[in-house]
Amino acid sequence: MSEPSPIVLIVDDEIQIRRFLRTGFELNGFVVHEAGTGTEGIRAATLRPIDIVIVDLGLPDMDGSDVVERIRSWSTVPIIVLSVRSAEAQKVRLLEMGADDYVVKPFGIAELLARVRVALRRQSRAASGEPSVTVGPLTIDLASRTVTLNGQRLTLTPKEYRLLQVLAQHAGNVVTHQHLLKEVWGSIHMQDTHYLRIFVRKLRQKIEPAPDSPKILVTELGVGYRLAHTADAENGAAVTATVG
Amino acid sequence: MPFTISLHRLRQEMRGLLLTLCLVGIVTAGIFTFVWSVGLTRGTVVYLVPVLIAAMRWGLIAALFASACGVLASAFFFFPPLYSLEIRDPQEVINLLLYIVVAVVVSQLASRLKNELEKSHKREIDLRDLYAFSRRIAVAFDVSDIQSAIEDHLTAVIQRKVVLFATARDAAGNARRRADAAVPPQVLAEIEKLEKADDRRPSTGDPVVADDGEAWLVRAVSPKNPEFGFVAVNLGRPSHGHSDADDLRVRVDAVLADATATLDRLGIAQAINEARMRAETDQLREALIGSVSHELRTPLASIMGAATVLSTAPALAGEPKLQALVQDVRSEAERLNNDIENLIDATRISSDGVKPRMEWADPSDILDSALDRCRKKLSRHTLSLNLPKDLPLVHVDPVLVKQALVQVFDNAAKYSPPGSTIMVAARARDGRIVLNVSDQGAGLSESELPHIWDRFARGERTASLTSGSGLGLWIANAFIAANGGKMDAISDGPGRGTTIAIELPVAQATVHPMESDQDE
Repeated sequence: MSEPSPIVLIVDDEIQIRRFLRTGFELNGFVVHEAGTGTEGIRAATLRPIDIVIVDLGLPDMDGSDVVERIRSWSTVPIIVLSVRSAEAQKVRLLEMGADDYVVKPFGIAELLARVRVALRRQSRAASGEPSVTVGPLTIDLASRTVTLNGQRLTLTPKEYRLLQVLAQHAGNVVTHQHLLKEVWGSIHMQDTHYLRIFVRKLRQKIEPAPDSPKILVTELGVGYRLAHTADAENGAAVTATVG
Repeated sequence: MPFTISLHRLRQEMRGLLLTLCLVGIVTAGIFTFVWSVGLTRGTVVYLVPVLIAAMRWGLIAALFASACGVLASAFFFFPPLYSLEIRDPQEVINLLLYIVVAVVVSQLASRLKNELEKSHKREIDLRDLYAFSRRIAVAFDVSDIQSAIEDHLTAVIQRKVVLFATARDAAGNARRRADAAVPPQVLAEIEKLEKADDRRPSTGDPVVADDGEAWLVRAVSPKNPEFGFVAVNLGRPSHGHSDADDLRVRVDAVLADATATLDRLGIAQAINEARMRAETDQLREALIGSVSHELRTPLASIMGAATVLSTAPALAGEPKLQALVQDVRSEAERLNNDIENLIDATRISSDGVKPRMEWADPSDILDSALDRCRKKLSRHTLSLNLPKDLPLVHVDPVLVKQALVQVFDNAAKYSPPGSTIMVAARARDGRIVLNVSDQGAGLSESELPHIWDRFARGERTASLTSGSGLGLWIANAFIAANGGKMDAISDGPGRGTTIAIELPVAQATVHPMESDQDE
């Protein structure tokens, strides 16, 4: 990265977690700020320019979701939440409050860095108005509303395209079922997850090289879907993706 | 005889009197025939027959009434002057007086006999019930058995709806749980009051009247032993007058005293205490496991995170031995994390039950993410997937089903040799989806087969060769059951592989054609 070092704010009450995160981020060229409580974290986010916020769910003074809500009330800075397993309902709530993604504890630093990079890239893409998203062999041109797979243009129905478009706008980050349903079918169908299942199945037949083990349109069980990104390649998925 | 007579009682009494009158009428008609055909004139003594019958069947009042009717009838019909209540012959007057004396004595004797008979019959029934009760108590297995025995016994003896509560707290919980035994809040309040009272005796002993007008009698089963709990007896609407309710109250207290004596004799209080203690110990253990595992999760997150940072550290880049050590730290932490997650799942199942978050899910999505999670564990096995393209959607908690599948894959990987094949197949059948996971591993013997779903179950043949807590399949089974499905294990025998089948119900999803695609 030739740009100036991105600044990360870590809000976590566990000093050991903050310590390894600091080391991990600094090794990868980030500037790190720390906060031990929610209040401190919110203040730190107002005081200096921050590129990305990492928030732990269980803070001593307030719930992580409150921190997300408060920061979101004035800032669009990417927020990634550290959550525990089997708390899907909580993850969904956090994402709806404006968190960009979550990582389940315990996690490896590479996993978190991947999510952070995706979120940062999305932010910069949004700022520069970059019109197209590429995931492996798939390219979605948001300006001309065309989708190509290995250079060949795909024919998608309007709803299939809309689904792909919403996912592409959040490329790399998870998008909740509710958000997708609202964007594609309207708010009265927010509970009708079976529409989504059937459409995702159809869409995968068109865009996935092997629809049985999807690598591009990935399921996040109990939460939503994610359009895979560069970062996911290291998880074993043979996907290389570049933006723009 | 109490002066207040209930309507019901009065009606019964009236019926007795009416029937008595009929009897007297019949006797009169009979004597009349005799007088006509035979010329017999002194038939008064025959009126003792209705007196006897009335005394045996309807009691003293009816018998006295029969005597009076007899006197009047003979005076009217048979003593000259006929058809007038006047009696001319003094000898007939003496006859009649004698008849009255005999009739009254007979009435009393006969009705007393009747009462004795009734009482002994009732006592026999009570004794039989009490005996059945004590037999049932003696074989009762746990607290709830004992409680339901007490409840059933009281219901049978008092012949009213009886609800038993262990404690006031239980009362509130029960009222919510048991829709059939809807207990009004006034009763719950009374139970709470009773529990707080020093001697656990009701202050007034009067029934509590609920909003719907039904009266409930609330009592501690035994004032001495709090273990037995409280009963609420539904007395119904008190519209029949008060004496009924009073009778019942006396009866309830008597039955309770009997029941308590039986419970004391069998040492039930101690048994209940012991059973409760056992339950509490279990709860404590669960709570301990639960909190300890949550506490362990936090430092583990630091260990794993730190290990991953170390492994990428430039300082270690040229140190393969140190790198390997760091790798070990990480993989061991991962293993520990797995065990802790299993413990957390296990406490979740046994403490507050599994609460699935149902949604429409694609079974292949669930399978895919379970396989993804187990990728590392399955890396030394060949995986063969056989999934139809048109699998129906299932309405389940996908995360729970995935975790169950992860446990099954974990088991298959653990108990089958590296290089062997693990087959995963899915098919829809009769409104259900069946997922089969087959391995070519250790298999199960007939004696092992029924126990694999037990908590902490571990095969004796393999326990020394593989690590594990024996929680995996138990957790999987509980998670699948919470989703309305069931699990099955099939094995041809030791060394011949195992197939685990997971069945999930398929519900019909409706997709309106207008929502499907055309519009935009």
